[in-house]
Amino acid sequence: MRVPLSWLREFVDIDLSPEALAERLTLLGMEVKGVHRIGADWSSVVVGELLDVYAHPSSPRLSLTRVRTAEGERELEIVCGATNIEAGQRVPVALPGALLPGDRSIGVTRIAGIQSEGMLCSGAELGLTPDADGILILDSESPLGEPLGRLLGDTVLDVDVKPNRGDALSILGLAREVAAATGATVREPLIAVPESGDATDDHLSVTVQDVLRCPRFVARYLDGLTVGPSPTAVQVRLMAAGVRPVSNVVDASNYVMLELGKPVHTFDAAAVTEDRLIVRTARPGERLETLDHIERELSADTLVIADPVGPLAIAGVMGGASSEVREGTTQVIVESALFQPVTIRRTAQAYGLRSEASLRFERGQEPRMARLGADRAAQLIVRWAGGRAAMGAVDTDPVDPPATRLTFRPARIARLLGMSVSGDGMRDLLARAGIVTEPAAARSSVAIIAGERPIPLDPDAAAEALVAIVPGHRRDLAIEADIAEEVARIRGYDAVPSRLPDTSMPGYRPDPRLMVDRVRDLLSGRGLNEVVTYSLVSPQDHASLGHDAQDPATIRAANPVSGEHSELRRSLLPQLMRVLVDNERQRRPDLAVFEVGAVHALVDGHPKEARHLGILLAGAADPLSWDRPSRPVDIADAKGLLEWLVERVAGARLRWEPGPLHEALYHPGRSALAIAELESGHRVELGLVSELDPRYLTACEAQAERVVFARLDLDGLGRTVPAVQRVGDLERLPALERDIAVVVAETQPAGAVEAVMRAAGGPLLASVLLFDRYEGAPLGPGEMSLAYRLRFEPGTRTLDEDGIERAVASVVDALRERLGARLRG
Amino acid sequence: MDLEAFAARLSALRERALQAVRETADPSSLEQVEAAYLGRKGELRTLLGGIGGLPAEDRPRVGALANPIREDVERAIAQRRERLESIALEVRLAGERLDVTLPGRPLRRGSLHPLVETEREIARFFGRYGFVVYESPEVETDERNFEALNIPADHPARDLWDTIYLQPPDSEATGTPDDGRLLLRTHTSPGQIRAMHEMSPPLRVLTPGRCYRYEAVDASHGFEFFQVEGLMVDEGTSLAHLRGLLDEFAHAMFGAARATRFRPGYYPFTEPSVAFDIGCVSCEGSGCPACGRSGWMTILGAGMVHPVVLRNGGLDPERFQGLAFGMGVDRIAMLRYAINDLRVFLANDLRFLERF
Ligand SMILES: [Zn+2]
Repeated sequence: MRVPLSWLREFVDIDLSPEALAERLTLLGMEVKGVHRIGADWSSVVVGELLDVYAHPSSPRLSLTRVRTAEGERELEIVCGATNIEAGQRVPVALPGALLPGDRSIGVTRIAGIQSEGMLCSGAELGLTPDADGILILDSESPLGEPLGRLLGDTVLDVDVKPNRGDALSILGLAREVAAATGATVREPLIAVPESGDATDDHLSVTVQDVLRCPRFVARYLDGLTVGPSPTAVQVRLMAAGVRPVSNVVDASNYVMLELGKPVHTFDAAAVTEDRLIVRTARPGERLETLDHIERELSADTLVIADPVGPLAIAGVMGGASSEVREGTTQVIVESALFQPVTIRRTAQAYGLRSEASLRFERGQEPRMARLGADRAAQLIVRWAGGRAAMGAVDTDPVDPPATRLTFRPARIARLLGMSVSGDGMRDLLARAGIVTEPAAARSSVAIIAGERPIPLDPDAAAEALVAIVPGHRRDLAIEADIAEEVARIRGYDAVPSRLPDTSMPGYRPDPRLMVDRVRDLLSGRGLNEVVTYSLVSPQDHASLGHDAQDPATIRAANPVSGEHSELRRSLLPQLMRVLVDNERQRRPDLAVFEVGAVHALVDGHPKEARHLGILLAGAADPLSWDRPSRPVDIADAKGLLEWLVERVAGARLRWEPGPLHEALYHPGRSALAIAELESGHRVELGLVSELDPRYLTACEAQAERVVFARLDLDGLGRTVPAVQRVGDLERLPALERDIAVVVAETQPAGAVEAVMRAAGGPLLASVLLFDRYEGAPLGPGEMSLAYRLRFEPGTRTLDEDGIERAVASVVDALRERLGARLRG
Repeated sequence: MDLEAFAARLSALRERALQAVRETADPSSLEQVEAAYLGRKGELRTLLGGIGGLPAEDRPRVGALANPIREDVERAIAQRRERLESIALEVRLAGERLDVTLPGRPLRRGSLHPLVETEREIARFFGRYGFVVYESPEVETDERNFEALNIPADHPARDLWDTIYLQPPDSEATGTPDDGRLLLRTHTSPGQIRAMHEMSPPLRVLTPGRCYRYEAVDASHGFEFFQVEGLMVDEGTSLAHLRGLLDEFAHAMFGAARATRFRPGYYPFTEPSVAFDIGCVSCEGSGCPACGRSGWMTILGAGMVHPVVLRNGGLDPERFQGLAFGMGVDRIAMLRYAINDLRVFLANDLRFLERF
């Protein structure tokens, strides 16, 4: 809300600088987002008097003027294009050398052959009013030569009013906040309607058919009006508050909305058939051309204000074009109603018509404002547009409801705040916010939760309790905790002590991030860059993974921000590819990145989240160096990473099996599933490594020839981490090693060779390391040799050469029997 | 041949041997010299083999004559060997000279993402006060994301959260879940409800994670962002504890001398509500465009858990009091690393990542 200080000062005295006031309001919860100075961008603009206005000799659209800006000073000759000027008026004069908004500088110029010493300013040129055609005509009392900034300059606070404080969306409401902050007194506006003649009742009747959604409707009738522009000062004030002036009648309703927070609507009474207003829901098929000249079909739940013929306005949201007050309107009906906030909110959203007025209705209205708003509007219309107001008003519920009484326990509030404030101290603080308090009655109960039965207090508690009598505008105060906040707010949050928790500590719980952080530390230490990518991806991303647009397991946004980000990712791969492509465009084709993140799918109709590690390798396996040749990445790089990672994190060993098959995504011959072999003997599939299919790379617009993707299921990995890792003591005897070279068919998977060796090697075989792989002479065609180093840990008993030879022999026998292998050399 | 002549021949042998040793240039010629003089078929043996020509009474004295000579030659050989070896080593080392100004063999740089690291630092700080990470899902129900947090449908406060809703699961294929309309959580606050149902006070949890809003992307907004939510519930938890924790947190993250400001805020799920500011990290409080010339920057929202939220979490609001806070990890990271455009976090440009 934009708050001109000149307006605010009408309601409360302010001794603070704008900046100091802004800070006080911010500390009170009315955050001031900005302080703007109107007139700060004017220099050398002063009040002048037009001495003479006569036609320009050569250009009929221009006038020549003689202007003085001080008694006895030299007169200025200024050329002017406006037609609203005449001798004797006082106007803003930009002297030669003046600066205007937009860094516009004014000098001595020649216009159509005549020298002009400066410029007469329009309201638009000064940023004061929307009028760009006419010169801004100042009050005739304005002192000659007065700098305009002193006369019309203002300071505007931009206040961020929170949704619970609709009452502060008004100059009056913010004046109350200033008073609460400074201890000053609020001056309520003096509202006196100059009524005369017959009664409002004689001119109109109001029927409310839906009292739930329109609990109160106040109307006034005015006639004999002349619609025209508002006084300059009013226009300037509305502009400063961010509302564009329209006409005196419309400006009056906007003025009331800003001043009191009460939206008011005006109808051209001549357009209201039978002088009857009916508040009802729209009928099927009804249409209304709204003020923005859009013909709208009204939905059946729309609350309208109608006459016997049809709808005139969408209640609380927008008026209709047919009853719009315009030039020539002489009779006006002022409507100041209360509408159910939810109704207005839904309607404004449904029609896309949220406005300053609907915003205020949504946040709730103080009941008494229904009448005050109507009266204030009538007062201003008569003042600015002439005419008269008929006697009295039509009011469908003229009795203001009683104030809410809210019981609170000072001790409970002090406990919540952790602050020592006595009951009397709280009473003083609340009084500053206009909240009267008194001791609670013996049988009191306290509201803990809004809309629920209050908790009865025992006599001792009741004796200590107080009652806050909540003024009608404070609709946000409903429970004891609200009073606690009000006490802290008025006292100042700065008075809350800063104290570290001294209450009991919770019991132990495992930290689910420990393992994830370990994975991240290990991989970044290994030289990989961690990335964080979007979790919303495109249907195309999923289609290339084989999840088409009908895939029932994909979770899709109903209102996606864009087609690029409309489905929750089921794999980290698409966005990792995005990282590759983006970096390739930055000429960084060598990539080793990882991401830890959630992937999503519907499982049995329920959303399920799984935590994955994704690794993407592309380009050169090692950084470019002066002493080694560049080598492209391959899946063995990714396998090595995963083997090492799983061993470090879970103490488990990975083995590889061919798969998974996925056409045009994974290379059919270069993809492997990662199987963890646990100490318990269980085998768990934990992820995969794959060289990506060239067709997929092309579809992603990647330049790289070979890209390796690896995935690890971190939830699964977490389950493999034992609570206690059984490392055991160090063997006292040295390990013994034997190297053997096994000749097998070239098509024989090495994984099976190793598995056979491990199974046959007995408990002493601690590790099997493949250190050479060879094909060619002297081996036969179709043969390969795999050289392994077998490492035996003797444990506690001495292992003799014979023991090892027996173990090696059983390995060799098993290889021969199960795989047809022979030893080489 | 008499003893004198024999002694002279021995002496001459010694001189020749020493001469030959001095003239060797490498270990192998030294070995040849050693063999030639001292070896089994060497000159000394040969000479001593001829003692049969000496008178019998002189023979016992031959040893006394020959041993010093053998020792002299052996010593000379040993010295020469040491010398030759040291020369050889020097030659080798001289030949192995490298350009020591060459750079090291480069390693991959490796880095941790600043958002995740900031999240970890936040968790590490609150971990000192007993807050343990509690993970809460990204797909939530409208009920838990809004209703249970005191934000009913059609409440004006819903304007604070532009929401991405999810398509209902295909009921034919999967059976519709009966727990209400699904959405992507707009904040980590539904974690409060889950944590209160799952654990009982004293309760201190931290829920970090990805959140979603229906928003256009600009320098300070994204439709995906990261938050950390804190919740502490106990009988005596108070607003003063909230302030104490947040003050310490600001000091830990932004320097021990950092000014802080505790002021009223508004959230439907807290009462009282708090906005927490720190002295501007850009101008240190004197006022600049980054802080709207106020000298302060808001880093998080907080408050005392609203009674209705405690009740929705299954706790008695008359007995228990809770504090809660929520912060944007992106925001904290931007302030700590002087980053003005948060889009850089999800762009994953290696030039950026390598700075961490
Ligand atoms: Zn600053």
